[in-house]
Amino acid sequence: MEIHVDTDACVGCGLCVKDCPMHVYELQNNVSVAVRPNNCMGCLSCHEICPAQALEHRGIYAARRHYIDIKVCEMLRKVV
Amino acid sequence: MSAGYIDEMHEAFHSDLVYRSEDIPLECSPRPKEMEQTLHGVMKLNGLVIRSLEEIAGRGANAVTYRAGKKFGHEVAKYFQKREDVEGALHELSDLLRGQYSFEVWKPEDKETFIIEENGETFIYLVFHDCIVRQTLRRNGLEQGGPLCQTLFGYVVGAIEEITGRKAKLEIVHTGPNACLKKLILK
Repeated sequence: MEIHVDTDACVGCGLCVKDCPMHVYELQNNVSVAVRPNNCMGCLSCHEICPAQALEHRGIYAARRHYIDIKVCEMLRKVV
Repeated sequence: MSAGYIDEMHEAFHSDLVYRSEDIPLECSPRPKEMEQTLHGVMKLNGLVIRSLEEIAGRGANAVTYRAGKKFGHEVAKYFQKREDVEGALHELSDLLRGQYSFEVWKPEDKETFIIEENGETFIYLVFHDCIVRQTLRRNGLEQGGPLCQTLFGYVVGAIEEITGRKAKLEIVHTGPNACLKKLILK
């Protein structure tokens, strides 16, 4: 697992550090650093919680997403 | 309601198909793609049932859903080969759950083996990747780890107990949008 933190975007809030049960992240000089990437199980809670969207995971298994609302998607397709 | 509308409705439900009582459908109808709406309807309904159950029964809802899941796990796993090793049982379980859930045994990098002994308990970490429960909860904007998750817990515990004959317990360690970490405690 490769985890990349965009250091320019990271605001150093530490939410990913608090949320990760496997202590993958640590704050160093007010920036989040993935110190134990091999402990990451790919839940992607950190992506959901990060206010700056500064995280990127590579080599992850993306779970099936059946929950996307098809009617909303149809509307979005018309707009985008 | 206008007569034209009623005729239109009748027309939609009429066909020239001849259906005999001995006809056995050999495939799913309609095609899976066309079942998306049905799937969303089922997810929505499940979410509302669970929300209402929680509102009325409070914490008792967890016990109800856990029990239901456990019964289902025992029921499904009783046709599977009995075995004593937990790893083999988990392998059977992953076959059993295919299409609904996918999971893998997992360990933090500082652990040597998948079967971990810590603070007097023996457990295995399971990472659930694909999960119909998570889909349903997210479809309905419900929190993860509630009564609907208990059905999965019961299911896994029931199936493991049925296959191995050993008592087990499942605990949530963490829930996420892409995967959830669970602890299968062996007794």
